[in-house]
Amino acid sequence: MTWPESPLGGRLGDGRFAIATDRPETVDALRQAVVARVGEGLALYPQGGATALDYGGVPRAPGIALDTRSLNQVIDYPAADMTITVEAGITLGMLRSVLAAEKQRVQLDAPHPDRATLGGVFATNTRGPRSFGLGRPRDQVIGVSFVTSEGNLVKGGGRVVKNVAGYDFPRLLTGSMGTLGILTQLTLKVRPIPESSALVWVPFTSLDSAAPALDRLNISATRPVAVELLNRLGSRLAGEALGLPIEDWTLVAGFEDNTESVEWQVNRLMIELGRTNIVIREGTSSDPLWSALTELQAAEVGPLSFVANLRPSSVVSFVKEVDSSRWALQAHAGNGIVRGHATGTSELEGFAPDVARLRALAVRDGGNLILSRCPTEAKAELGVWGEPRADWNIAERIKKTLDPAGVLNPGRFVGTI
Amino acid sequence: MNQGGSGRVSGRVGGTEGGLLFYLSFDTDLQVGSENHTPMSVASTPSLSSRIVSELTAIVGAENVLHQRDELVVYECDGYVIEKSVPDVVVFPTSTEQVVGVVKLCERHQLPFVPRGAGTSLAGGTLAVGGGVMLCLTRMKRILEINTRDRYAIVEPGVVNLWLTRALAGTGFHYAPDPSSQSACTIGGNVATNSGGPHTLKYGVTVNHVRGVELVLPDGSVVQAGGVTEDNPGYDLAGLIVGHEGTFGVATKVTVGLTRDPEAGRTLLGVFESVDAATETVSGIIAAGIVPAALEMLDNLMIQAVEKAFHFGFPTEAGAVLIIEVDGLDAGLDREAQAIAEIVRTHGGSVSKSISWRTRKEPEYVAIWKSRKSAFGAIGRLSPTFCTQDGVVPRTKLPHILRHITRVGERHGLRIANVFHAGDGNIHPILLFDERDPDQVKRVLVASHEILEECIAVGGSVTGEHGIGVEKMEFMPQLFTPEDLATMVALRNMFNPTGRCSPDKMLPGGAGCIERKSPGHRASA
Ligand SMILES: Cc1cc2nc3c(=O)[nH]c(=O)nc-3n(C[C@H](O)[C@H](O)[C@H](O)COP(=O)(O)OP(=O)(O)OC[C@H]3O[C@@H](n4cnc5c(N)ncnc54)[C@H](O)[C@@H]3O)c2cc1C
Repeated sequence: MTWPESPLGGRLGDGRFAIATDRPETVDALRQAVVARVGEGLALYPQGGATALDYGGVPRAPGIALDTRSLNQVIDYPAADMTITVEAGITLGMLRSVLAAEKQRVQLDAPHPDRATLGGVFATNTRGPRSFGLGRPRDQVIGVSFVTSEGNLVKGGGRVVKNVAGYDFPRLLTGSMGTLGILTQLTLKVRPIPESSALVWVPFTSLDSAAPALDRLNISATRPVAVELLNRLGSRLAGEALGLPIEDWTLVAGFEDNTESVEWQVNRLMIELGRTNIVIREGTSSDPLWSALTELQAAEVGPLSFVANLRPSSVVSFVKEVDSSRWALQAHAGNGIVRGHATGTSELEGFAPDVARLRALAVRDGGNLILSRCPTEAKAELGVWGEPRADWNIAERIKKTLDPAGVLNPGRFVGTI
Repeated sequence: MNQGGSGRVSGRVGGTEGGLLFYLSFDTDLQVGSENHTPMSVASTPSLSSRIVSELTAIVGAENVLHQRDELVVYECDGYVIEKSVPDVVVFPTSTEQVVGVVKLCERHQLPFVPRGAGTSLAGGTLAVGGGVMLCLTRMKRILEINTRDRYAIVEPGVVNLWLTRALAGTGFHYAPDPSSQSACTIGGNVATNSGGPHTLKYGVTVNHVRGVELVLPDGSVVQAGGVTEDNPGYDLAGLIVGHEGTFGVATKVTVGLTRDPEAGRTLLGVFESVDAATETVSGIIAAGIVPAALEMLDNLMIQAVEKAFHFGFPTEAGAVLIIEVDGLDAGLDREAQAIAEIVRTHGGSVSKSISWRTRKEPEYVAIWKSRKSAFGAIGRLSPTFCTQDGVVPRTKLPHILRHITRVGERHGLRIANVFHAGDGNIHPILLFDERDPDQVKRVLVASHEILEECIAVGGSVTGEHGIGVEKMEFMPQLFTPEDLATMVALRNMFNPTGRCSPDKMLPGGAGCIERKSPGHRASA
């Protein structure tokens, strides 16, 4: 089998094209497509809203794209139970509007919500600013169904919020990059939309003055749901269009709760930080900033983007090592996640040494540094998934167990997966 | 089961196929200490070759090996007492290296082995099916690191849940999962069973708070899954390992996430004439968009037992009470508490107590939760033996399932007490009976089945926190398709290819090839 040269069959990412794109309308049709295509010796590349096609390693074997967007039904929404079961092809935006009708929401932040499908959000473990207070995707999911490369429909978990029967497929599949199965259905916990929301934008002229504020926030009397740290380039990308003041560093704290609590927290934060020159975006006027912070994660302002995972206490020393004149930085500081976007048109070579140096720092801290965006030709050399981890050998064995033929998203994930 | 501490366990009824029963009678607080047991007088018949015993002794030291029959009998079962099987030898490793040594020895001799924490499992998770080696982790009990800045703690598996809570007192942080058995159960056991507790409604269950696990696989290799940092590249192995019920290997280290203490809380006691009114109130609170920190229900039988034991001031004539707790920042709590009180009244109830607290140490707060968490112990005052069930329904189906439980009780002439995590839809009907009456035992089994089957019928599960163990394997094919189960078996076989690690647990069909080396001490017929 050879790679098609024409884009007519659809895109797979990394400049590779699909032999064809199948768009099954039902789970049964999906299973049949899987069996048929694998029978033809083709690899399978599940897709949702195609917002993250270039994420991960380079597709290794010619195959077809499986577009899951027709599987977009709400299966069961017992609002009073605070759960929802939906097909994986539903977009995050659509899901949000279904829930909003009942004054509820899912606790997920992802860029491009009008295109990103739930299956994609979970496969890529996409998280945003609010994961500090509201949890990560793994904390929202209570049940999954997926189709294996053998065409079996497999489920794990269930539709009730507590359930310990069987192994935890919801966690295993979250962040599995479509390499173990094609997500067809998810059951999520939902929550009431909070009464009130506020974002506090606190500019700092230096990192040294911002650092104590971060330590302070960890033990603050307030309970922020988001703690973000932006450098000047990051601040500009997120805040300039919204008319926010831009300094060398910005700390953004987000609050969501009942009205009294949010008001109290905003006032309290000003006292704790000893600051008055801050900007507060409250209620609906916080919405554009929440989405700007989320969209910033997917910024495409240069050739390369990284995500480092660290201990929260190491965020400041880490970002100090990054050249802020060339990298736009956004840290989910409370969680120790730092996102960097190379800026400008300069050549990749200029950034590559930074990657190795910063990665070593992250690894020394017990974390890692992956490349969420990287030119295809540099992926192998720079290692998109970071420093190999010892537990990848277990990951490889799990992959062999669930996808013995190795046809699901080959080449995309860690190690030989 | 061991007879140590102040917990007294009874229940010697056998011939019960399907093994659904768990019955315990505790005098007071649960205190299951695996080291202070009263030896029983059973003839000493060491069944494992003395060569293996001496090899084990060389690994863990003589003081950490039990192999005399009278010492081993204590380990014939855990909180699930219906099935019994005596391990051939019990070892108490004190380090990961020792666990590796023991596991490799088991590999060399093709011996089955089973990890055990405090033995509070209510599903027979620690049953030494086929005998073999039991690895008791209670001597790996160090808290290795507490880091509140980075919000994690690293502990050995034998650390008791409450010890961690105590060690964190005053730091402003806590470890959120708080099973009612927290004064005895270990973090290793919590990880294996994905434990819940009253406060999981708002804060999530164990898996939501575990970042990393060091696991010794049955071949002796050591896996470091996850770590202190979030989102390490690769599959979420720590997430997969939580809830493995001992079938993947032996956890020797756990990295847990820490949670900020709430600034304040309000704990209300809602009193109702009927169970129906109470369960409707639960639905009402959730439907109003309030997410309580805890929402627990006790019915009349339970209230009476708890009141007799603890004199908290529960109204003994009430049909049911709800313990409703909201926590967070003080600022909005009064309004939230008022809204809850209003919902209670709308459903014909009244609020008999309203505790406003700043720390979880205030005497009235401590008293109400002690009553709740020791409820299982109090039930001993009503009946010598009882069977605690664990099922889950969608929250809105609570009124339905509670009515069903009442009908089942009436139909079989059984008294059933209820104390449970209502906000999660996680029921714990407690079936009271006299173990000396075989007919009652049979009726309890049938009644348990009927309750769990209804949980499945309304879209729920047969276990919300106690696990499948050996107790509920037969339900797995009702919850899962053959494809689901085959995938689970394949995963289990990947970690545990010969099935010698916790044989015949959780997944029906098991590994199959484990030869029962010794008949063990089965429940007497
Ligand atoms: C009175 C009472 C109240 C309870 N309340 C609750 C509650 O509110 N919520 C709840 O979730 N549960 C509850 N339980 C059940 C029980 O306490 C939990 O399942 C607990 O997590 C078991 O911990 P343990 O240390 O006793 O583990 P054990 O009972 O010793 O073992 C349980 C399982 O874990 C495995 N295991 C133990 N340690 C390890 C290890 N280091 N590595 C690998 N596998 C291991 C065992 O093989 C077994 O399968 C209650 C039990 C009692 C008796």
